[in-house]
Amino acid sequence: MQHTPDGHLIQAATVNHRPGQLAVAVGLLLASACMAWGATHISSDAGYAGVGPNFLPWVATLALAVCGLLLFWQAWRGAYDNMPEPSGAPHGDWHSLAWVVGGIAANATLIERLGFIASCGLCFALAVRGLRMSEGKPGGAWHQSMKDLLIGFAIAAPVFWLFTKVLAVNLPALTATGWL
Amino acid sequence: MDINLWNQLLGGFATAATPVNLLWALAGCMLGTAIGVLPGLGPAVTVAMLLPITGQVEATASMIFFAGIYYGAMYGGSTTSILLNTPGETGTMVTALEGFKMAKHGRAGAALATSAIGSFVAGSIATVLVTLFAPVLAEFAVKLGPPEYFCLMLLAFTTVSAVLGGSTLRGLTSLFVGLALGLVGMDQISAQVRWTGGVMEFMDGIEVVLVAVGLFAVSEALYNALYEGRSRAELNCMTSTHMTRPEWKRSWPAWLRGTALGFPFGCIPAGGSEIPTFLSYATEKKLAEPEHKKEFGTTGAIEGVAGPEAANNSAVTATLVPLLTLGIPTSVTAAILLSALQNYGIQAGPQLFTTSSDLVWALIASLYIGNVMLLVLNLPLVGLWVKLLKIPKAPLYAGILIFATVGVYGMRQSSFDLWLMLALGLVGVVMRRYDFPTAPVIVGLILGPLAEAQMRNALSIGEGSWTVFLNRPMSLALLIVIALVLITPRLLAWHRRS
Repeated sequence: MQHTPDGHLIQAATVNHRPGQLAVAVGLLLASACMAWGATHISSDAGYAGVGPNFLPWVATLALAVCGLLLFWQAWRGAYDNMPEPSGAPHGDWHSLAWVVGGIAANATLIERLGFIASCGLCFALAVRGLRMSEGKPGGAWHQSMKDLLIGFAIAAPVFWLFTKVLAVNLPALTATGWL
Repeated sequence: MDINLWNQLLGGFATAATPVNLLWALAGCMLGTAIGVLPGLGPAVTVAMLLPITGQVEATASMIFFAGIYYGAMYGGSTTSILLNTPGETGTMVTALEGFKMAKHGRAGAALATSAIGSFVAGSIATVLVTLFAPVLAEFAVKLGPPEYFCLMLLAFTTVSAVLGGSTLRGLTSLFVGLALGLVGMDQISAQVRWTGGVMEFMDGIEVVLVAVGLFAVSEALYNALYEGRSRAELNCMTSTHMTRPEWKRSWPAWLRGTALGFPFGCIPAGGSEIPTFLSYATEKKLAEPEHKKEFGTTGAIEGVAGPEAANNSAVTATLVPLLTLGIPTSVTAAILLSALQNYGIQAGPQLFTTSSDLVWALIASLYIGNVMLLVLNLPLVGLWVKLLKIPKAPLYAGILIFATVGVYGMRQSSFDLWLMLALGLVGVVMRRYDFPTAPVIVGLILGPLAEAQMRNALSIGEGSWTVFLNRPMSLALLIVIALVLITPRLLAWHRRS
């Protein structure tokens, strides 16, 4: 959230949210179509209950479809009830986002191969680079990246030891000793 | 007071005051305050990330720990909203209104003191009320059958999605998204597989922890990278946490009024502390003496901090009443606490007071202890917490991702869950950008399957006929309440327009 020096909220410059709103509505309609397809495969055997296991899935499907249609209609007319201007910049910094998403994706891919500490350290280094760039600072050369990586290891290692050794949570290690 | 109640409470203190449990309470309060102060993490997501410890730590200890986090975050959250004006919790949004203005004008210390002492007063009074009312309500709730439970859950759905937040349509959309996520996996009653798309990982359903961590923690990091990088928040200076005599005089009636407003709102399945905090703010503004009234919105009025803070803490404490007696969570954190109980195989509901009475009373006793701890932790140590606000945002959010991994991966050791967490994080970014509330997703996710089971049981009782919901007085009354909740705001709006 942005504020002027005396604490008033700065409204972000007005952005045309219509394409985004329409996309959200279309996404919901697509999701409900998939849900409907899935719901046809659920048995309707009601037993003693009067409604079967497919009843609530159909309710949710139809309700989401109706919500999607209404949202689409609102967005089409350009009339959304009570939507405040979202916080932050009017336009997204997709480049920075990609680094953070990349960090999480790398973590999901590598955690079982490299173990928790190495994989999370890498995730930290990639994410912190993206977040730093979003602040308008340079991402940094390779020695900065090495520093980020070391900080990532330094955070991940104690967390790993605390959770695996003290709290007996199962997290993957690189070596059989369970310390790395 | 009933002698039996007194004995049970004393028994609770005996359990909660063992050195180990005291340590858990202290750890919870410290951690809770820290995450409350830090932007980006709320109590719900913290408890969610720590849920894997339920495999190792004993039930009473971990509930005491989680309750400490829940409580501590409320205290810590007010520090941030006063000094930084970026409220982490919805409930402390109102505190930021006056608190930040007071801090701007060099009265940060007084604002922090009135909010900490107010939280203590409200939390303690509300805990006494929980002690008195919860067992009575539990005794009454035993008599409720599946139709009534279903209607109560329907009421919780309605209020969480349709009443709170700006738009009923967007609230309901979130609710049904949550409901749909909750239905994925094996149906509890018929063991039918639903909506898994052939993916084995979906068989056990989608864990609430995963959704909470994805929608709150991960999406916060992603949203910050995408939109908030250039936003600057400025930190106010700390001053001595001393309140003058007139400040005390203006604070205490506001604390009591806030407590009285907050408690009922926390009790009913209407969730959240937004309504009572805003109501308390409006009340204090109205009741303030003329010379103080002009401080509202200008230099900051102490009543405007004291009242809402008390209302917030009182409402938060009161959410334990429906959680413990009915098994119905009315806030996101309560939903996560419910799933912690489920991890232990403990069914929250009216039987809880008989089957797990040790745990319940130890939890209640730990609230009394936690309140005292938090007052001590917050006032003299406030300088320590303020230092946390100086952590730069980039490493903070990147570090949160490491903890998110522990919570999600540690749950069942599946990297599939990490991909799902990322997907939900992206969904969370869209929801935040287009003002879809996230609380209904979590409540729908955890209450949905429970409500479905109650509905199908109710229909079995009624031999397949829907009239079962109309034939029983209690469930009919609840249905009427739901209709009123939905219709009244529209009628009022229509009346105002015409």
